[in-house]
Amino acid sequence: MHDLLRRWFADVDRLLRGDATRTELLAERGGLEVEVRRLLGAVAALCVCYGACMGSFSLLKDVPPNLAGTSGRVMQVIASMIKTPLLFLLTLVVTLPSLYVMNALVGSRLRLAGLFDLLVASLAVNATVLASLGPIVLFFSLSTNSHPFMVLLNVAMFAVAGVMGLNFLLQTLHRLTNLQQLKSPHLAAEAKPVDAPLESLAADQPAEDAGQPSDQRAAGALDMPPGQALAHQTRLVFRCWIVLFALVGAQMGWVMRPFVGSPDLPFSWFRERNSNFFTAVLVALGKLLFGD
Amino acid sequence: MATLLTAADDILRRAPWTTRSARSGPAIVRLAACLAAFALWYGGVMGAFRGLTGQDQWLRQVAYSAVKVPLLLSGAFVIGLPSFFVLSTLVGVRRDFAESLRALIAAQAGLAIALAALSPLTLLWYASSTQYDLALVFNGVMFAAASMAAQYLLRQYYRPLIARDPRHRKLLIAWAAIYILVAVQLAWLLRPFIGSPHADVQFLRPEAWDNAYVKVAKIVWQALGL
Repeated sequence: MHDLLRRWFADVDRLLRGDATRTELLAERGGLEVEVRRLLGAVAALCVCYGACMGSFSLLKDVPPNLAGTSGRVMQVIASMIKTPLLFLLTLVVTLPSLYVMNALVGSRLRLAGLFDLLVASLAVNATVLASLGPIVLFFSLSTNSHPFMVLLNVAMFAVAGVMGLNFLLQTLHRLTNLQQLKSPHLAAEAKPVDAPLESLAADQPAEDAGQPSDQRAAGALDMPPGQALAHQTRLVFRCWIVLFALVGAQMGWVMRPFVGSPDLPFSWFRERNSNFFTAVLVALGKLLFGD
Repeated sequence: MATLLTAADDILRRAPWTTRSARSGPAIVRLAACLAAFALWYGGVMGAFRGLTGQDQWLRQVAYSAVKVPLLLSGAFVIGLPSFFVLSTLVGVRRDFAESLRALIAAQAGLAIALAALSPLTLLWYASSTQYDLALVFNGVMFAAASMAAQYLLRQYYRPLIARDPRHRKLLIAWAAIYILVAVQLAWLLRPFIGSPHADVQFLRPEAWDNAYVKVAKIVWQALGL
């Protein structure tokens, strides 16, 4: 078990450090090479940790007399631990086919397996950032009574982690596209070389402003590769897909609620199906600012 | 005592032991000891309000406050650290993490030292005014001043890191956001630090499990008449 966990997290660590997505390595291996099963295991474990932090909100709260007992609160923690990894995996399952079709339509050379690897890698980054925010959520869960605040805090944490994960996805895609263009002779003629001098791209702005690593330092997982931009259509497809992923993820979260669990309501695995995520966020904001 | 003051001087002047990359373990222990000692001192001074305004149970309040200020500074730091570690890795500056960590702890120690240096002013204020609300405001000003000093010190410690890799600047901003988010709530949770003259001395208020941000939002909305 210890060995398994170590291998899972070693893979995640390679992704976070950018070691698995270095241009030279991608070129050598002909694409992104990750152990998908291990990464999925790590994603699940990290999401379970965050789910526990999220579900702990009702643990120390006063509950109405008719809800006395701790079993409902413990069940909420368990439910959140189960539902958080499911939330990510189901969102991926729902959005992957549309991404693949759009991707193929605009002529990207990424195959389904390659696309899946890339998305799982980006989910791993997303889940790691989310889990690293877990202690903050746990701290607020245990120290605040405001349910709307906790809902909004969790939405903010998911948003931060999502931005990081999707940024990783786009930057890795840049690198993969560079690789494909260099492999293809007619595309390579149009493409700037991967190792084009940085000054040519950022002549009138400092390297850090261009968001690019200088050759003095190692490129991070979120750094733009030098000297190249993604094909317009592919970039558009991925940007549209990111919006779709965020919308589906948000609504999936709504369908699978409660994750935080209100101490005033009895435990249930799911709530009745009404309204939507965005209305709920506005309602929570209203409650937070104006009271019930 | 002399060792502690020498260490404080070293931290403020960024002596070689506080920045050298080798043997960071003992340096971190020394920095943490300074942080604890000076925060404990300022906490004790904060809690002296009752004593200087002639109320009972003042010694208990001094002891509670002395424990709570180090808890506040170290708690906010520890809770925010996992996020900072993952962000450092993701941004690509993980190899500098040990150095960043030491800079952050040194800045925390600097905050505690600055607070301790301001403690005579706090005592003078307590001796001059018996109003609890004004004591609260004065301590807020002291924390703000000490935070600015710590921020300056942090930038000094971070200067070589930023020169080596400008991405550290972004991380500093992320760290500040995380630290403030947690510290404000933790301070609210750990109140009272001064001890209201109209209430018994307690380690935590009975209504401690509340949310600072919700309170502030309500106060702002009420003030706006909404």
